[in-house]
Amino acid sequence: MHGASAICGIGESDYYAWGESPHTEFQLACIAIRRAVEDAGLELADVDGFVSYTDMRNLPTRLARALGLRELRWAATTWPGGGNSVAAAVQLADAAVTAGYARHVVVFRALAQGQFGRFGVAGGAGTGGDGPYMTGPFAWNGTYGVLTPAQQCALRTARFMHDHGISQEALCEIALACYANAQRNPRAIRYGNPLTREAYHASRWIVTPFHLYDCCPENDGAAACVVASSERARDLPNRPASIVAAAQGIGPGFGVFTPEDLASSHYRQVADHLWNAAGLRPEDVDVAQFYENFTGPVLIALCEMGFASPDGVEKFVSDGALVGPDARFPFNTSGGNIGEAYIHGFEMINESVRQIRGESSCQVASVERALVVGGPGYAPGSALLLGAPT
Amino acid sequence: MSRVLGVGWALPALDDSNRAFFTSGTLALQRCETCGHVQHPPEEVCASCQGSSFDAFESAGLGRVESVAVVHHPVHPALADRVPYAIVLVSVDDVPGVLVTGNVVGTAPEAVGIGERVRVVFEEATDPSNEQVFLIPQWEIVR
Repeated sequence: MHGASAICGIGESDYYAWGESPHTEFQLACIAIRRAVEDAGLELADVDGFVSYTDMRNLPTRLARALGLRELRWAATTWPGGGNSVAAAVQLADAAVTAGYARHVVVFRALAQGQFGRFGVAGGAGTGGDGPYMTGPFAWNGTYGVLTPAQQCALRTARFMHDHGISQEALCEIALACYANAQRNPRAIRYGNPLTREAYHASRWIVTPFHLYDCCPENDGAAACVVASSERARDLPNRPASIVAAAQGIGPGFGVFTPEDLASSHYRQVADHLWNAAGLRPEDVDVAQFYENFTGPVLIALCEMGFASPDGVEKFVSDGALVGPDARFPFNTSGGNIGEAYIHGFEMINESVRQIRGESSCQVASVERALVVGGPGYAPGSALLLGAPT
Repeated sequence: MSRVLGVGWALPALDDSNRAFFTSGTLALQRCETCGHVQHPPEEVCASCQGSSFDAFESAGLGRVESVAVVHHPVHPALADRVPYAIVLVSVDDVPGVLVTGNVVGTAPEAVGIGERVRVVFEEATDPSNEQVFLIPQWEIVR
């Protein structure tokens, strides 16, 4: 078990519907970072590192100048992809402070798709290509109208459902849980807008097996946290959320559609490394946040992380098993991407810290371990296990 | 056969790695000249021997639907009158380990199932800007 570093501060901007932020994406990033640093009991000038993922717009030098840092000692990002890297970004900060390369590293994600176009659709017109042509790797799928993550995740999910006799109700349960838990969270975009099973089934198809409500919304907002050594975190005001273990990776299919990996979320290998590094098992987790850009791959990730078997996962999620603080399996307690806001999963990091602190709007009793599983279906995946302070 | 997604739908930008696939009228997959490994989609390096010169393997074009989804939401305006359409991943009998993306012709999208046998067919398209003719692999159900 690791525990050498901890998350000592969290913050976020207000979350907005797509295109409705009064702030630019860069301003949103600065708001979230400022709030996280303030929450940590630090000054902005104390920050000496930045980590993000899937972000080449809000560059660390620009942030350092705008936020008044004294010096920048650590600037890192994961490879591009998407929300698959959310936990990997925290892992990079953990590596930095544990190795002594930096003292107070901010991890953040800012996303204003209303200003920069939709994530996951490359090419200006949404064709996945360059003008009227599908270029490079887009040719293999875009020529056939396979253009979006929803469609790619649908193909994975359809095969998983087929192989294991899983019904539409299992997907519905994921959406219902996220919406239900968001009703407790005033930050949530879906706060005050509950979802019923009837409305789920009545909603239009996007791509089978995904209804509208199987797909997370697109939002504008930013979230950030501060990572420091556990020794440093003990001197700061908040109860630290100890970084027990983190893992990223993939193998052996490496994200390409292959017959062997078709129905995978690419988390088998991440799960092995995470549980081995932590010396813990799935049953040791008190609350879990699973990245849900779409509901279907969550079912696959639940299995690959070791919480359910493919043939038993529908039962595992059914009968309200995921809803509320007293759930059989406390899950996406802030509402996640679907219910709280699509900040590429970073809202799940902050929610996990709140659970460790005992400050969630859907607080699970006596949380010792909180799990974050990043985006399934894209690679490399990543997962993070937080714990009560050591 | 005309294009499933309409004559106006975007064409692939041809390059050395995809010209045979999209124009030859055969299911032409990338083969390593050094070790004979066939891989798809193509890559600049052979995943088996790391060789970097390639020719094309002409598959017999028979396979199986490994997954299918029906697209209802037209992501692009040009597809608004083409939905619903089926997208499939097909495993190819004579090239283990690869999946080829495509659409299904001649069968209603909702009637396409996982496990169905399929045969490659080719849709014709011409790039109006330069008269380049395409023969784009697609799939029909064999029952």
